[in-house]
Amino acid sequence: MLKLLDRLEEWLIAFLMGGATLIIFVAVVHRYASTVPIPIMQDWLLKINLSWAQELCIYMFIWMAKFGAAYGVRTGIHIGVDVLINRLPDRYRAKFIVFGLLAGALFTGVIGTLGAQFVWDIAHTDEVSADLEMPMWIVYLAIPCGSYLMCFRFLQVTWSFLRTGALPHHDASHVEGLDEATSAGLHPADVERGARP
Amino acid sequence: MNAYLIFGLLIALMLTGMPISISLGLTVLTFLFTMTEVPLHAVALKLFTGIEKFEIMAIPFFILAGSFLTRGGVAKRMIDFATSMVGHWHGGLGLAGVIACALFASVCGSSPATVVAIGSIVLPAMEKQGFPRRFGAGVIATSGALGILMLPSIVKVIYAVSTNTSIGALFVAGVLPGLMLTVMLGVTTWYIARKNNYPRLPKATWGQRFRAFRECIWGLFLVVVVIGGIYAGIFTATEAAAMSAVYAFFVAVFVYKEMSLKQVPRSLLDSANLSAMILYIITNAVLFSFLMTSENIPQQMAEWLLNKGLGTIAFLLMVNVLLLIAGNVMEPSSIVLIMAPILFPVAMKLGINPVHFGIMIVVNMEVGLCHPPVGLNLYVASGITKMGITELTVAVWPWLLTMLVFLVIATYWPGLSLWLPKVMGMM
Repeated sequence: MLKLLDRLEEWLIAFLMGGATLIIFVAVVHRYASTVPIPIMQDWLLKINLSWAQELCIYMFIWMAKFGAAYGVRTGIHIGVDVLINRLPDRYRAKFIVFGLLAGALFTGVIGTLGAQFVWDIAHTDEVSADLEMPMWIVYLAIPCGSYLMCFRFLQVTWSFLRTGALPHHDASHVEGLDEATSAGLHPADVERGARP
Repeated sequence: MNAYLIFGLLIALMLTGMPISISLGLTVLTFLFTMTEVPLHAVALKLFTGIEKFEIMAIPFFILAGSFLTRGGVAKRMIDFATSMVGHWHGGLGLAGVIACALFASVCGSSPATVVAIGSIVLPAMEKQGFPRRFGAGVIATSGALGILMLPSIVKVIYAVSTNTSIGALFVAGVLPGLMLTVMLGVTTWYIARKNNYPRLPKATWGQRFRAFRECIWGLFLVVVVIGGIYAGIFTATEAAAMSAVYAFFVAVFVYKEMSLKQVPRSLLDSANLSAMILYIITNAVLFSFLMTSENIPQQMAEWLLNKGLGTIAFLLMVNVLLLIAGNVMEPSSIVLIMAPILFPVAMKLGINPVHFGIMIVVNMEVGLCHPPVGLNLYVASGITKMGITELTVAVWPWLLTMLVFLVIATYWPGLSLWLPKVMGMM
């Protein structure tokens, strides 16, 4: 069950990231392609209206940001000023870490509730977005959903920290797929050969 | 009074080690629940509208582009090219590392990404050739900082959004300072290498150089896409960022063929993770500056500073010291988000050019990235070389000193950053 949620979260944010990029790319290409006078194609391109692309991209990224932030709790990417507490004896350090994690859960919980109220209010109006004409409450749904998920992640991390004493740690220096290049190295021979094939 | 409370609480919360975004948010919430009458649902709305700007969306796009460039073999070809050009001088691979960082920085908008991309290839190679590990780590950790100064840069986007400065002009304004810093770092490297007689590489022929150049031209063409596109008005900065992400994907998968389609989701996920973290800080920083504005704090601070009778020179000095201190504990995006709204109005009143001010802040952030305790570049370099932070701190100092000298130059010589955007008619 939890595994499913994890996968779903990962797929969602990866999809939003890729989708938004593709949409903007298509919109830009379309904008210029439709000025090229190729008889039938131009008419066809002009008929497609892509003015909503920008708005959709923004909404996709906001959804990505909210759910990505929750994913980030799990991967430990949210950095804080930990120089001070890292010098404390382990016992005190652990207390501060739990405090920080619970504060995170509190904040996201409060924001989630505020957001839920807000969405509830807006759902009773007929406010729609400017270009897409999508009901705004669906768009704003990202706030409560994302925040509650983040709250849940904070509690999850707290729980596993209390049990095992381990925190998720984001290693910025590790890039998957680069290991191979690293082990191959760069030899002087490469320079003599000039570029690689 | 309120200003002291707000900042006191913020700093206290930050020092407990909780994420910066959370401490910003909690400060705002505490304040709103206890002190002011700002309607709470306005807060919920701000959470959403805070990042509802198309300009900000350039950040995830640049991060994605950087991820494709790092994994797609672009960095490797740039290193090959740089090595063929300068490898036979004193410093050999180290010097080539500096140049490769500068090349990579002009297509990538993040410093730690530059350190990873160049460092993970150059550092093991340097060690194999007999360079001391400290030398390599020092060179790359500091040269990687060029990532946020040359052309596209995430920190510049954040500064531009929070102060309403032209993104295009800021991008271009970084070129000359970037080149100058490259030369200065190069000279430092060259000098140290000559003194210690570090290994050099055989001189490459012009044919080899040309071949290496032709190989990396695909990556370098990205400069034309981003800057040419913005300059010619073909697309906005955000669209340029999206185009560069698509272009980098194309080069990595279809031209250099170093990335398989199977690796793409992983790239997307990692970039999304990093972007979400930055966007989350931005959201909360927007909340925070909303609170500050409603309490009139930026204006009060600006007035207080102006009443001190600080001239431009003293003000810039103060800003630099303040930012260097902040650079000790926070990473660049947060610093810019919190500090820029406060310092910017004063700078404007003193008649400092917004673009010059932005470049100065960026250079300052570069220094902050390279020294402990919170120098992201150092952590990345320590991850690659498996060296401790303390050892690295000693290793980087010659270059860090060079950067400090450069910071003074960039601060008090506005022409350095302003000349190019002016000539190009971007400001």
